[in-house]
Amino acid sequence: MTNASSSTKGQGSAPAFYNNPHIRAVFYQILLVAALGYFLLTIIGNTLANMEARGIKTGFDFLTTTAGFDILMSLIPYDASYTYLDTFYVGLLNTVLVSAIGIVLATIVGFIMGVAYFSPNWLIRKASVVYVETFRNIPLLLQVFFWYFAVLAALPNARNSLNLGDAFFLNIRGLYLPKPLEEPGAMVVYVAMAVAVVGTWFFVRYAKKKQDLEGTQLPTFRISLAILLGLPILATLVMGVPFHLEYPELKGFNFRGGITIIPELMALAIALTIYTGAFIAEAVRAGIQSVPKGQTEAARSIGLKDSKIMKLIIVPQAMRVIVPLLNSEYQSLVKNSTLATAIGYPDLFTVFVGTSLNQTGQAIEIVFMTIAVYFAVNMTISFCMNWFNRRVALVERK
Amino acid sequence: MTKTTTGAMGTQARVFEPSPAQPAPVTSTGAYAWLRENLFSGWLNSLVTIGVVALLMTLLPPLFNWLFFDANLSGSTQADCTGDGACWVFIKVWLQPLLYGSYPTESLWRVNLSLVLLFGTLASPFWLPKHLRNKVDIAMLLALPFIAIIILDGRLLGLDYVATDYWGGFALNLFLAAASIILGMPLGFLWALGRRSQMPMARSICVILIEFFRGTPVLALFFMGSVMLPLFFPEGTNVDKLLRVWIVLTLFMAGYMAEVYRGGFAAIPQGQYEAADALGLSFWQTTLLVILPQVIKVSMPNILATAVMLFKNTTFLMIIGIFEVLSTAQNALTNSNWLGGFSTEAYLFVAVVYWVCCFSMSSVAAHIERKLDTSHRS
Repeated sequence: MTNASSSTKGQGSAPAFYNNPHIRAVFYQILLVAALGYFLLTIIGNTLANMEARGIKTGFDFLTTTAGFDILMSLIPYDASYTYLDTFYVGLLNTVLVSAIGIVLATIVGFIMGVAYFSPNWLIRKASVVYVETFRNIPLLLQVFFWYFAVLAALPNARNSLNLGDAFFLNIRGLYLPKPLEEPGAMVVYVAMAVAVVGTWFFVRYAKKKQDLEGTQLPTFRISLAILLGLPILATLVMGVPFHLEYPELKGFNFRGGITIIPELMALAIALTIYTGAFIAEAVRAGIQSVPKGQTEAARSIGLKDSKIMKLIIVPQAMRVIVPLLNSEYQSLVKNSTLATAIGYPDLFTVFVGTSLNQTGQAIEIVFMTIAVYFAVNMTISFCMNWFNRRVALVERK
Repeated sequence: MTKTTTGAMGTQARVFEPSPAQPAPVTSTGAYAWLRENLFSGWLNSLVTIGVVALLMTLLPPLFNWLFFDANLSGSTQADCTGDGACWVFIKVWLQPLLYGSYPTESLWRVNLSLVLLFGTLASPFWLPKHLRNKVDIAMLLALPFIAIIILDGRLLGLDYVATDYWGGFALNLFLAAASIILGMPLGFLWALGRRSQMPMARSICVILIEFFRGTPVLALFFMGSVMLPLFFPEGTNVDKLLRVWIVLTLFMAGYMAEVYRGGFAAIPQGQYEAADALGLSFWQTTLLVILPQVIKVSMPNILATAVMLFKNTTFLMIIGIFEVLSTAQNALTNSNWLGGFSTEAYLFVAVVYWVCCFSMSSVAAHIERKLDTSHRS
């Protein structure tokens, strides 16, 4: 028997079916799917049984019922008589607001601190290192608490507000700013702004074409700036300044009028900015360092000015490294904005997963709706950054 | 300076003798040059330097006064904080809860023993004999969370039982982070392997798992762990709160690690697989003996960065009511005997403790990165 089997092997017959990788792959996958299916069925079965035992309803009917609770801050009209779906929108907008503020400010702070690492001044260089290493290594929640409970809670009360030119007031209840109100004719200014943006776009295209064809360079940046600022200012003046400012005023114990920025929003935005700014600074530093020194030397040897070297040689190549990192930092900023719930800023998480879930008990629907929102926001960011990367950052030789 | 010598043949050869080098000008060496180059290289630079120094001069003395000179250290009640400076008495009184939570004082040695075991295991590559390292290390690491649980829980060893409700403080942050990193790393490797697999079902399942745990805010994951996970278990089972948190953190870590490993896999040249095939190694032999060590090595800086992130994220647990360090600090701040507004002291203490841990891990990561970086830049 042993002889026979070894001789058949020697003749090079097909291996046993269970050694065929394709058959094995199919077998493993069937096994995997079966295990997964069993797992999911058990979970779903348990969940349904548990929910029935606890008397939890299922489905999305709750969205149209009245929520019955107030929300601290809302960008759209809202009061306790609105539905749970409205609480979802209010929370969503507040999340988008704090994320947008955080992304813009963190990018500015991050780029300044990242470039500061290459300053000729030793103190500035060290300041950049100290900033990055300090704030990157302290938990974000702790920073949120620090700004909210230690810094903003130490501000004076409304009567003793910090006052800047009787227009800006800062006190324990928040930051009060003057609010521009439109008068008839404001529309013209908005139209002028839109025209300026479109005009700049066409001008930049024209300038680029001209340079490609004739080699002459126009002062693109200055002219664009002139169009962007000049047209709206001109329109404003021509229309006789169709705006007036509504100043916040102290009435009784509190300020009325103007724009109010609640301390929860301030603390969260400051903490997100400083924390994410440290990571962005690190990304910027890594990006600039990733450009080989030979690039600078080659640029100098063909006679480019230092400012041109930065703009034409270093930045485009550094952006290749920076943009993907920025993408993930922005996404983690959006995810980290859920920490709002720790200080009570009414973002999607606080309002919807916090209060609405507590009142309705419909954990599965609410949690999945919320997660879907964060996925959608992050995919939008990812899409924009990838587009930006293709258009601007990835300058490849054709 | 050239001497003229007369050779044997009467020809004259001139030997060049360089004159001794002049000392470098004062302006280009030593402290003076350093100052000139780094602080006063131009009028703008000098202005910045003066501005920054002036700012530091105004900010630092009050800060140091508050931190050290006017600070209060002696005493044990709020009334002992009389000076204008920081009230370190607060930290002194609350030190044990901050570090250990409400774990019984007479059993604290168990927490300390577990910490020693943890750091001993992490440092084992340095003290284990070389031939044992690969065999013992991984087994020790993987067993560590369970050993620590047995020691802390105490029932199996015949010690006093300490329920998980009493576990807390900074030690809990450390243990939870360590336990989920230790289990999340192999799990993440498995997911990363699945993502590279040729089998479409395995691949899609792994992609969904990875993207789900990476894309969901960690706070939402914690909420799912505390609100939804209990619904998944059969009716009547009561799964421990910390165990649920541990599961969530492990899965979270695995998702991020899988992405880190993906970068590592991309750095392994195809030749490594081909060489392993040529030697007749099986899939698992190739993966575990040839590819895994290289992937770990290449992605070590990112692994450490992810570990630091997870460690920082353990503070988020206070929101779902776990008594970790930040939650203990918040508790102390609302204690009726300590309502004097010591939030700055409390946060500073937690920040320093965290900073020391995270900064040392980041430094190790940066060191490894520099060591592995063989490019010629700047």
